[in-house]
Amino acid sequence: MKTIILGVGNPILRDDGVGIHVAEELKKQIKKPDVKVDTAFTGGMNLLDQMIDSDRAILIDAVKMKNKALGEVGLYDIRDFSAFHTCNPHDVSLPEAIDLAKRLGERRIPKDIKLIGINIGELSCEFGEELSSEIAKAVPKAVDFVKKEVEEDE
Amino acid sequence: MKTITIDPITRLEGHGKISIFLDNKGDVDNAYLQIPELRGFERFAQGRRAEDMPQITSRICGVCPVAHHFAATKALDAAFNVEPTSAAKKLRELMYMGYFIYDHILHFYYLGGPDFVVGPDAPAAKRNVIGVIEKAGIEIGKEVIKHRAYGQKITAILGGKATHPVCGLPGGVSKGLNKDEVKDIEKMIDSCVDFAKFSLKLFDDIVLQNKKYVDLILSDPYQLSTYNMGLVDKNDKANFYDGMVRVTDQKGKELLKFKPQDYTKHVEERVEEWTYIKFPYLKKIGWNGFSDGKDSGIYRVGPLGRLNAAEGMATPLAQKEYNRFYETLGGKSVNSTLAFHWARLIELLYATERAKELITDKEITSQKIRNPVGIPGEGIGIVEAARGTLIHHYKLDKDGLIDKANLIVATTNNSGAINMSVRDAAKGVIKAGKVDDGLLNMVEMAFRAYDPCFACATHTLPGGMPLEVNIYDNNKNKIKTIKQNLQENL
Repeated sequence: MKTIILGVGNPILRDDGVGIHVAEELKKQIKKPDVKVDTAFTGGMNLLDQMIDSDRAILIDAVKMKNKALGEVGLYDIRDFSAFHTCNPHDVSLPEAIDLAKRLGERRIPKDIKLIGINIGELSCEFGEELSSEIAKAVPKAVDFVKKEVEEDE
Repeated sequence: MKTITIDPITRLEGHGKISIFLDNKGDVDNAYLQIPELRGFERFAQGRRAEDMPQITSRICGVCPVAHHFAATKALDAAFNVEPTSAAKKLRELMYMGYFIYDHILHFYYLGGPDFVVGPDAPAAKRNVIGVIEKAGIEIGKEVIKHRAYGQKITAILGGKATHPVCGLPGGVSKGLNKDEVKDIEKMIDSCVDFAKFSLKLFDDIVLQNKKYVDLILSDPYQLSTYNMGLVDKNDKANFYDGMVRVTDQKGKELLKFKPQDYTKHVEERVEEWTYIKFPYLKKIGWNGFSDGKDSGIYRVGPLGRLNAAEGMATPLAQKEYNRFYETLGGKSVNSTLAFHWARLIELLYATERAKELITDKEITSQKIRNPVGIPGEGIGIVEAARGTLIHHYKLDKDGLIDKANLIVATTNNSGAINMSVRDAAKGVIKAGKVDDGLLNMVEMAFRAYDPCFACATHTLPGGMPLEVNIYDNNKNKIKTIKQNLQENL
């Protein structure tokens, strides 16, 4: 099964970039010919572009969940979330980009799209490349989570 | 940073908030739009290698990486005292046209267009690109997707990667074009020219032929007579990539024209205690609160600002549309906020025509693409981002590391005007304490026209911006709250 793993986030916006950190780690650990690990600093249609032609996509992104612990890693359906963030209100969310592409006859969208979310609490509005200590601790957890997910379905 | 809280407005992070204050008659006294602003860039940049700035700053925004990339690259040209080769300038500008093509298409069909194409009264769930496609037809939907992708592909061929370009270097670019690439790009551009023409025709058929829409464009709540700013070439025609900064007054007369390096002599940033966003204004005129007219230094940038700040477009078809724009809307300057959408399509046509000129230029395959850099110093780079004038300013130390950095992004240049447009739209729909149900949409239409770039915001389709509107009576008691799209996610 052709799989794309995408770490999503902004690498210069502190904890928002946690997905990128996880993907960088996964690049070192996953060596399978049919699994590609990449990073995506974008949302909506551009994000969909990066998934086209794969059978399965696993996205890793920062999420904001009030009722969960900081750094908690969870598996979500992308439809649980209405938005994948970019900084501009004119981009579309991923589910909307998918709906639109399907409506227009696009057949290369992965059948299986999962979101592995890391709860970062509040989004930082201050530039920085470092993760906070709680979120940094979540990176190896998320790495294991993704690896298990990749193996389980094979 | 100093934080003063004026009850009941506090600065905020996370999502957009509008506070509307009513007077004792229940009419709108004032309104404040608060949106998150990314902070700490100067500290973040300090000590970094200057050459890394085009890559780093392209990550500030997932939507306009190309604009930041080239504002930074041009600031480095200046800071390293080097003029890029002629071929490099053309390659950069060609890539820049690709960015304008995809960005303007995206905005018109996905964000701004739905208000008109589907209709301002249509339910929010219909006012989106899917609604546009339902109305205009599935074939048009395919064309939208195709040409947006062409714009992306053109930037990707030239820039390395569409989402984070790596080509800009002080003195030039890292990669030229070969003949096959030129052929591919030219084919895409030809198709984009036709699509731009089609888009203008669509706007004509659906919007301009509909008196109700034209009346809406010209209606009071959407008029704002500010100064206008944009880059112009040596003939005072609008330019997106390079040139002098020109400012015109409410009648379209030139007030200022200055070189990018002189921007600090002409632009001042006003700090208000209720928001982290700064409000730039023209020093020559001064700050006169949130007011328009000739005594207020607030100016507008972006498609409408650029058209108003120029004497025309440098390509023939766009020039024709430019003339028609002013003939239809009553001459210069056009002050209707909703005219941004039409202006954006005229710019789309210009971008495609200009791209065609560049790709057919003999020099475009030249491999003379970089000049050697000089001694590091200070540099300012200005480009027109799709949504307006973007300024990068760096001071380098002797080792070429960043000592000081300042950015003024397009949405910040428009921040004073956006705030007034929101207030005026609210005035139009709140009368004697009665809040019209259409409030959110009227207000959103006002700021959507600017195509603003809100940091940290989380977004969905049109009508989907996370927003909270609080309305206060004249004793500052909250009387109503309207929320939309405030979900627990990013």
